[in-house]
Amino acid sequence: MYLVEVESAAKDQAAEVVAPGAPSDRWEEFPYSRLSHHGDRCCEMARQWVVAMDFAQLNGASVESGPRWLREKYKWGPSPWPMHWCDVVERDTIDCGAHAALALEVFAARGLAAFPAQLVQKYSKEATDQWRGSWEAEEVSCHWLDGEHIYHEATAVLVGTGELKVWDGSAGSWVNPRQRGGYGSVLSIRVFADSPEAISNGFRWGEQRIAANRWQQIG
Amino acid sequence: MKVYVSGLYSGGNPQPGVGIVRSVRQGFPFATIVGVEYSNRVSGIHWEDLDELWIQRPWSELDLDAYGAQVRGVLDEGGLWISGSDLEAMWLASIFPDGHRNLLAPPNGAFKRITKPSVEAADKLPVEVPTFISTDLPDWELHAFCRAHNWRVWLKGPYYDAARTPTWDRFIAARDALTKVWSTDRLFLQAHVSGYEESVMLAAYQGELLGCVSMRKRDITPEGKTWAGDVSPVDPKFEEPLREMVRDLNWTGGGELEMVRDAAGQRWLLEMNPRFPAWVHGATIAGHNLPALLVQAAAGVNARRAKPLASEFTRVVLEVPVRDEFPLPALPEPFAGAIGHSMKHPSGLTSLAERLHKADAELIGIAEEEAVADGIPQVPETFLDDIAAYDLERLQTPEFLYMGSTAEQLFRRAGERAHRLSTNEVQVVSGYSIKTNPDERLIGLALENGFLAEAISLLEVQKALKVGFRPDQVILNGPGKWWPEGMMPKERLHAVFCDSVADLDRCVDALATGEMDSRHVGIRIRTPNVVSRFGIPLDSPGTFRALVEAVERLPAHVAFGVHFHMASSNIGVAQWWHLFESMLKWCRAIEQLTGRTIEILDMGGGWFPDDWHSSDESRFVRAVERVKAVLPRVTQIVSEPGKAMAQPSMALAMRILEIQEHEDDSIEAVVDGSIAELPMYAFQPHRILRQCGESGALQPLGRGKTHLMGRLCMEHDIVATNVALPEGTRAGDVLIFCDAGGYDRSMSYVFGRG
Ligand SMILES: [Zn+2]
Ligand SMILES: [Zn+2]
Repeated sequence: MYLVEVESAAKDQAAEVVAPGAPSDRWEEFPYSRLSHHGDRCCEMARQWVVAMDFAQLNGASVESGPRWLREKYKWGPSPWPMHWCDVVERDTIDCGAHAALALEVFAARGLAAFPAQLVQKYSKEATDQWRGSWEAEEVSCHWLDGEHIYHEATAVLVGTGELKVWDGSAGSWVNPRQRGGYGSVLSIRVFADSPEAISNGFRWGEQRIAANRWQQIG
Repeated sequence: MKVYVSGLYSGGNPQPGVGIVRSVRQGFPFATIVGVEYSNRVSGIHWEDLDELWIQRPWSELDLDAYGAQVRGVLDEGGLWISGSDLEAMWLASIFPDGHRNLLAPPNGAFKRITKPSVEAADKLPVEVPTFISTDLPDWELHAFCRAHNWRVWLKGPYYDAARTPTWDRFIAARDALTKVWSTDRLFLQAHVSGYEESVMLAAYQGELLGCVSMRKRDITPEGKTWAGDVSPVDPKFEEPLREMVRDLNWTGGGELEMVRDAAGQRWLLEMNPRFPAWVHGATIAGHNLPALLVQAAAGVNARRAKPLASEFTRVVLEVPVRDEFPLPALPEPFAGAIGHSMKHPSGLTSLAERLHKADAELIGIAEEEAVADGIPQVPETFLDDIAAYDLERLQTPEFLYMGSTAEQLFRRAGERAHRLSTNEVQVVSGYSIKTNPDERLIGLALENGFLAEAISLLEVQKALKVGFRPDQVILNGPGKWWPEGMMPKERLHAVFCDSVADLDRCVDALATGEMDSRHVGIRIRTPNVVSRFGIPLDSPGTFRALVEAVERLPAHVAFGVHFHMASSNIGVAQWWHLFESMLKWCRAIEQLTGRTIEILDMGGGWFPDDWHSSDESRFVRAVERVKAVLPRVTQIVSEPGKAMAQPSMALAMRILEIQEHEDDSIEAVVDGSIAELPMYAFQPHRILRQCGESGALQPLGRGKTHLMGRLCMEHDIVATNVALPEGTRAGDVLIFCDAGGYDRSMSYVFGRG
């Protein structure tokens, strides 16, 4: 009986071929989130605090460790834009764009090459409906939701020659480059980089090759 | 075909038996699979894929010779045996030292080369082994190892137990427990490596690698065991040396290399297990059925191939019917008047450890190349000279002994080092923290050797002045610096550091009214991520802003400074240096935001003497360079070695009142000292000496089975555990507890003296 089950499960698996999803056109030209600076002490104090705090939290670990403390301090949820440095540090809840911007700042302060990264991920209609509800309740734009797909921001970090790791600041974890398809998986990624080397060579992310500055389908 | 599978325990920390059975069944649908167990309380015996069961009495009762003969019979008749238990595999290896063609477990020689922690056999693999030391070494050195690794260390048994020991008292307790459970003193301490956990599983037959597969833990139980994982092929750079290793060891059976991958991608080998891991069927689901490959190689029958179902697996908890022929055993009776039932492993595995150990101590001992240490610590010559100056016979014990030449040497060396570290731009000076030991002889040595005096109360300030310090050689800090009222000197102090924003505001007022004067006024910062009750916190943007605004209120005519203090002996040396770097970053931010430049940096403290005195001076030289680079206006660095000065400067003499030997070889000796004189006994080891009755020589105590119990009628008054009293020790003999001149002295209290 057990074997029969195994075999039928294997058949189901083979039948269900998931076509790689294309990112929605609506995010084709989308810019990544940037924090604003009042050009004054209010924002400078906040920025310096984030950078010094990050070093303290590193606690002697490798500079390539993800800044998980930021996710522990700031919950993920709706936040209004534009956002200034002095606003972002005082909030309890920030969205993935703000998380990604903070992570970008601290990776750079640690001396690493870090780049803004945009993702299109697959969830489910139920999940995006839920998120739409909570974003609308805060009167914050839901431009990032589309059917079972979402637009999401993260931070790419150069860890070796041309090799990237992608930090999902609002999840507090590294994005798994091996996940192909399914709930929570990455369908497309775009990494912004302006060095001539990155533009001509692109990056390696897990087994994949990623060109700089354009959407790239995964899978 | 008959396949025997053991290790069926299927609790929260499962053995691999059930997973092996499921995988063998998938490869060989018509095989007869026999479950072997040593208890009918092991739930895996009820798993549906088992055709037969062979249940033995627990290991504690089993006649090992007779059982060994039965197993031989089973193998000779063609039965295959896959062991799912480390200890059973080890025992089988002792019965079949060169293996048996049907025994799918490693031979004896292989075991000796995979024992924890060094895993000598893995030296060709692209892995590192985390630093470790044997607990045969003296406590003094074990404590140093813990400090050097920031107290992020594991105490491990020779098999699979491990306990985190973040403090000295936890270490002592865990050592006692592991020694008892595994009937061996041969434990080791290993540095923790933080990172992602991954494993490589392998199957081999007579030295030929049949297959291997890699797994990353994606979800773990609270004990750190796999709950879910992803499976992938092994990197060829790993597989090739693994193939060689397997050949070299003539490995047969399953195996697992447990590793951690750090942020830089380096793999660290934690241990190698002589069996398949409990997640074995997770790999089968992903198309890597290693148990089937193993059976195929041994039996020469091809296994049925199956398509991979997924590259990721997870666990679920299942209820299964209990077999009629092995009904559940009787309900255990709760312990009368206590909590819980028996906590032991149902098959009595730990008693197998004891029996194996008695049969062949070498078999399962930790491979140790160097001579076995006896736990006797090195004691500096000056200690012996200083103690020899006392007439121990006539001492009215318990009594603190001032170690004059030791203290002089320590202070002189510290003074000279400060001088050497000073440059034209930055003066380095030591601060003597009066609270560590307010003995006037020590304060006097500090004055002679160019120290500043660090006080935390006005009474301490007065003490420093009485010994001869000038007010402008005194630093005042701490939360109670205004106590007792009315004793603040009118003269200008060297520096005052504020412990809170309120304290800073009070100092600003006192400077304005002339109630207090100081050349430097600064703040003590509370470095985030390390628990401390002191200093101004930096842990939120709001507290940071409050600090910045408070600093801006300081009058322009006083020089500004920052004080940072954290006991390096508690947090570890490397972590202390990280905090130092972190503090420099905060200082730089404060300078930039307030426009105030930092002129004095006061860095403490709580250094363990060995770390401070013997540590590489270049570390301090680099630190001074870093300060100059980051904070170019700093002109003075005050380095506060804290107890590094005081602790070795006194010893505590006590006398043995009574010695009682017990049936289990343990000895309890009562001494006239107590935790009232030795309050730090649980936080740090003390080197103990006994004067030989005949020769008068001072003999350091090694490790043994004696507990030294204090004179107080208090349950926790034990001043030392697991020491060895030298031959001939009698009641009336004097014991000298060295390293007692720090907080042991300053916090000792009057108790039980009538
Ligand atoms: Zn601002
Ligand atoms: Zn997002």
